[in-house]
Amino acid sequence: MLQLLQTQAIKQEGFMVQNGKIFLVMTIVCIILIGIFLYIARIDKRLTQLEKNN
Amino acid sequence: MLRTKWWKVLSFVLLLYTCTYGFLVKIPKLDDRLKESIRNFFFHVPMWFGMMILLFVSLVYAIKYLRTGNLVHDIYAEAYASMGLVFGTLGIITGALWANYQWGSPWVGDPKQNGAAIALLIYFAYFVLRGSLLDVEKRARLSAVYNIFSFFMLFPTLWILPRLTESLHPGGQGSEGNPGLNGKDMSSNMRMVFYPAVIGWTLLGVWISTLRIRIQLVEFKREGIL
Repeated sequence: MLQLLQTQAIKQEGFMVQNGKIFLVMTIVCIILIGIFLYIARIDKRLTQLEKNN
Repeated sequence: MLRTKWWKVLSFVLLLYTCTYGFLVKIPKLDDRLKESIRNFFFHVPMWFGMMILLFVSLVYAIKYLRTGNLVHDIYAEAYASMGLVFGTLGIITGALWANYQWGSPWVGDPKQNGAAIALLIYFAYFVLRGSLLDVEKRARLSAVYNIFSFFMLFPTLWILPRLTESLHPGGQGSEGNPGLNGKDMSSNMRMVFYPAVIGWTLLGVWISTLRIRIQLVEFKREGIL
């Protein structure tokens, strides 16, 4: 009985595992979003330099 | 406008809000057929709104080119059409994925799915047309005319015909109202994420279009065309 309760407690630990792991999905999507924005911000900066040099 | 920062930062903030609160906002439990996938409203639907806006901007620049003959307008028209197509393609792919789990198969012959495919094919032909013409002025002129035709074809394929027949999409015969803008399709909680999402995704599309435009402008200047 005690062992059963212990395994259940271990399974539900952690922020990411709450709410059907929605926080995990949310974090993954945010990482992808930030990655994409950093990439196009970089392109934007390099373009601005290119335009200035011309 | 092309180089200002504020609307780019706004796009990021709105999308970060969409991608966080979009997963956490409380969704209504009606007949519970959609379950959590109703959250696709913040991703799949803005692709189509974004596409309409971007293709409209492309149309405006196509008409501007025909009126002035200034090649810069053709560069703008092509860039916005290209980004509009990207959004449309993403919309149709995400729609097929959603349909697979909601309607049983990725392509069910739903009128809006078919209409969307036809609309996108018409725009793909715009790029085939452009690719076939080497002279810059001729290409700009012919593709501007085709752009106008393609834009007006969006209306029967996406908005009119799907509402005249029975459709699995909201808005068809047998269901009520205006898909996407209908007050009954979304709770007010969801609308608080939906409208910022549309703006955020559209601004992202505009940003990428402007990058493409700026690259073309630099290239055209280097080649002496402009």
